[in-house]
Amino acid sequence: MNNLLRCPRVPFPRLALGRVVDCGSPWRGFFVLCGLLSLLVACSAETTDKLRFGMASAPVTLDPRLATDAASARINRLLYDSLVDFDATSAPVPALARWQMLDTTHYRFTLQAQRTFHHGKPLTANDVKATYDYILDKSHVSPHRATLSLIKEIIVVDDRTVDFVIDKPDPLFPNYLVVGIVPADLAAQEHTFNKDPVGSGPFKFIAWPEDGRLVLERVQDAQQVEFLKVPNPTVRVLKMLNGEIDMTQNDLLPELVDYLRNTGAVQVTTGPGINFSYLGFNAEDPVVGKLLVRQAIAYALDRATIIKYVMGETARPASAILPPTHWAGNPGLQTIPYDPDKARALLAQAGFSAAQPARITYKTSNDPFRVRLATVIQHQLRQVGIEVDIRSYDWGTFYGDIKAGRFQMYSLSWVGIKSPDIFSYAFHSKSMPPEGANRGRFRNTEVDHLIDAAQVEPDRDKMAQDYRQLQAILLRELPYVPLWYEDHYVVTRNDIHGYVLAPDGNYDGLITTIRDHRDRLAGIGP
Amino acid sequence: MLQQLVSRLLSAGVVIIGVATLVFLLIHLVPGDPVEVMLGESAQAADRDSLRHELGLDKPVAEQLMNFYGNLLHLDLGMSLHSKRAITEVLGERLPATIELAVAGMVIALLLAFPLGILAAIRKDSAWDSGSMTVSLLGVSIPNFVMGPLLILVFAVWANLLPVSGREGPASLILPAITLGTALASVLSRMVRASLLEVLNEDYIRTARAKGLAERVVVWRHGMRSAMLPVITLLGLQLGALLAGAVITETVFSWPGIGLLTIEAIQTRDYPVVQACVLLISSTYVVVNTLTDVMYAWLDPRIRMGGR
Repeated sequence: MNNLLRCPRVPFPRLALGRVVDCGSPWRGFFVLCGLLSLLVACSAETTDKLRFGMASAPVTLDPRLATDAASARINRLLYDSLVDFDATSAPVPALARWQMLDTTHYRFTLQAQRTFHHGKPLTANDVKATYDYILDKSHVSPHRATLSLIKEIIVVDDRTVDFVIDKPDPLFPNYLVVGIVPADLAAQEHTFNKDPVGSGPFKFIAWPEDGRLVLERVQDAQQVEFLKVPNPTVRVLKMLNGEIDMTQNDLLPELVDYLRNTGAVQVTTGPGINFSYLGFNAEDPVVGKLLVRQAIAYALDRATIIKYVMGETARPASAILPPTHWAGNPGLQTIPYDPDKARALLAQAGFSAAQPARITYKTSNDPFRVRLATVIQHQLRQVGIEVDIRSYDWGTFYGDIKAGRFQMYSLSWVGIKSPDIFSYAFHSKSMPPEGANRGRFRNTEVDHLIDAAQVEPDRDKMAQDYRQLQAILLRELPYVPLWYEDHYVVTRNDIHGYVLAPDGNYDGLITTIRDHRDRLAGIGP
Repeated sequence: MLQQLVSRLLSAGVVIIGVATLVFLLIHLVPGDPVEVMLGESAQAADRDSLRHELGLDKPVAEQLMNFYGNLLHLDLGMSLHSKRAITEVLGERLPATIELAVAGMVIALLLAFPLGILAAIRKDSAWDSGSMTVSLLGVSIPNFVMGPLLILVFAVWANLLPVSGREGPASLILPAITLGTALASVLSRMVRASLLEVLNEDYIRTARAKGLAERVVVWRHGMRSAMLPVITLLGLQLGALLAGAVITETVFSWPGIGLLTIEAIQTRDYPVVQACVLLISSTYVVVNTLTDVMYAWLDPRIRMGGR
């Protein structure tokens, strides 16, 4: 009080700066600073009721005909409708259209309910043709052309019917028609869908003012969703806790997920995923080219321990690329058990001993979590007498090495695999890079024959049977040592409800997400 | 003076061309193919070749380099391989954020460094001196990727006074600017102290004191002007670094500036964007350093006279 009384007597302005100090009240400065900060915060605070969704990476392009990256694909699903979608068993189901196979190379697609593009025009067969014609046009160099190049002709029968003629029988053909449909009139004007998307999906485009900030609006109730790019996972968690984002999905370290779960300030929901992690081997390498060594590695890995302690129980052990719930998955496959003694015996049989251990170079990306996993695997393999040298590289270098076959052992994941043609792509002897993704140069005539037979099998049950048998052979031959399927998790503020996790990690849950204002009023929300 | 300026500008041009060439060659040498990143692994060889041709990546590296120089003369930095947008447009979007952060960081650094440095120098060997130098040592020792999250934790999460990250209004500038500014302030305050101490021991300062001038006048009018020379050199260098994009700070705070853009472009092997960013960064350094030299000459008559 004395200080306050004394203050006015200090001459102004010569000693104005000294006044605060003389008053002996650094607190006053502090309060002034806090006041100013609060004013600034108030000035920049959002007044809208957008749902704010934090993402690790932003979409590259919102043109579904050109997009390949996961972030773009997930956002594009919200903006555009496609002819075909997948059900819970990853079987193709009608989305915009039902289809019938007129003969083995001729498919007819009939548009179902009337759909309207966000610019007001109805979606017709012409739009379907325009979309796929664009992809097939060589001058546009679409990344989807490789998959769709079997299309010989697209015929518009009437406004609601479109025929696809393909150059060879492929019973999986409908699986490939998942590209979002764009309006033909805008496509003809070379509209820049990549920055100004116009689709017929559940969300319409509002603004993309900067790379890391995208605003969409739900068509049914005008609820806006703002996608914010926050690359640093720790910062994303802090933004979550501070109420600056309402939800975020995946791409967090397990300890951060645990931390969030324990705070009680947010909800963490996990759901099974289909992203398959594995160890890949170079079949032409003198050490890991031996089946005995690959088997030893498979038995030496204690997956349960890794999943429990390193992955925070956010994964399930895997035995094949397709999960058992997939229509062509093999539920009969047993996970390779942890058996270090058997691993040592197999290594001895392969000619390795304590005096002459197997030495393997293990390549991985420099993502901190991948390096951590590699270190744990290195330790487990050392227990059975395999010396592992870890080399971690930035993504471009690592991926380049893998495709070029410059590796002994590596770890990677297959993300969002739904169609069983992955087996041809990853294991057929004709699929060595650059033709496909048989990066380990795996050659097995039995596998080749089975893939060839399954690919043209018109009966879906028989096809599934072939693929199940194939997965059993792959588990025996171990071109990959299967590790686990990583779960998905979504973190939401307590007033956010209705988001359902998808097995492939898409953002379709946003269609049903709502903010419950009662929670906010009750003081649970931000 | 003019001759000095011309030779300075010429050498600046050589440096910029040298850096541009080096970056061009290095980015083409590192493994990783932009076409692969854009089309994915499943692309057909014909599509890959066609895209490579469209982007001009099928030409010999020497020819690509010549084209790069040619376009540079027209100030054409090319198109981003990924977003298919003109790079000048992309840089134009990002530059204001970087300038905003750099200026704010610099202001905070100056506000902290000068009082700390001067106080430490004029009260040498006192508690003030060791206190301010300890603070500055701490500042230098704490890297930005630790300082950033620490500030976020205290001011955004615990005190709930400021936003965690992003560029949403003036409040979001405070934490990244403090992160950048304190690191710079630490270096700067030590430089101010050392430089001022050296000057205060000079004969002319003793003369000034002997004349009976007030200590304030001695320090400010006679001491600081000379002591500013090395400080300004450092300031120039650091301003260059700040404008060039504070990569770590921008990543931690999701600040959409040049630093973050460079990192993203390197990850996706977006060659033209990486080249443009590095070119911008090196040009900034060179321009700021040239300006520093000019200012140096203005401050120090010996240099100005020597140039004549």
